Amino acid sequence: MSALTLYQLVALILLMAGLFGIAQRRSLVGMLISVELMLNGAGLSIVAASQLTPANAVLGQLGTLFVMGLAAAEATLVLAIIVVIARRFGTTKTSVVSTLKG
Amino acid sequence: MEDMAKIAFGLYTLIILGGSVLAVGAKSLVRAMVGLIATLLGVAGMYMLLNSPFMALMQILIYVGAISVLIFFAIMLTRADAGGEEAESAPLRQNLLSLLAVLSVGGILGWLVLTRPLATTGVPVEVSIEKLGLGLLGPYGLAFELISVVLLVSMAGAVLLAWERRNGK
Repeated sequence: MSALTLYQLVALILLMAGLFGIAQRRSLVGMLISVELMLNGAGLSIVAASQLTPANAVLGQLGTLFVMGLAAAEATLVLAIIVVIARRFGTTKTSVVSTLKG
Repeated sequence: MEDMAKIAFGLYTLIILGGSVLAVGAKSLVRAMVGLIATLLGVAGMYMLLNSPFMALMQILIYVGAISVLIFFAIMLTRADAGGEEAESAPLRQNLLSLLAVLSVGGILGWLVLTRPLATTGVPVEVSIEKLGLGLLGPYGLAFELISVVLLVSMAGAVLLAWERRNGK
């Protein structure tokens, strides 16, 4: 088993953990934590694939850097949305926040 | 040297495994955050092993430094106390269904990864920071500018969303 396969398997573990968390967590903050896990798996997979194959290594590293920047932007917006929801509903449980009425 | 790398890889894998189990399974959200931070540090170690120290430093700076603090703020602002939000665990049926979904996705992807090995160079490529900087200013300049616009817009959007109107209701 090559080193690349091992790194991809670790990234797959991160993806699976995040997917399980997002399906099973019952609060919005918990789901945000799971999304961060999945994004980390993606970054690790991209860097491993670009560093260990003849592919363009600069592109791989910068791509992961952009994934991190997008994750930061996403976390900022999700934080604002969670604050708004907490103010309006008084909780961030997904079972309570299920109405579409304004 | 080869053995050291294997030991370090195993150590980081253990850190990532334990951290992600804590991040997904912990009842208290603060403990879940501690697990997430351990996972992020483990991934930073993986970047070090992949001969890309710049990515490892960025991982620690952006994820551990900025994003975890943001999520801690989210936990504090929503007053999710230690035993509150995730205190009652999900019903067994939901857990089993999530496990099934995860295992199907993971099974397919794992099978693909294991049965289609790529031709790899044994040693990670060395990329100097100068090359990364030249890439950011040269061929990938547009993406670099776009991501700064995205960050600016998301910051402005967050301020707009969470703005408490003083003279309102």
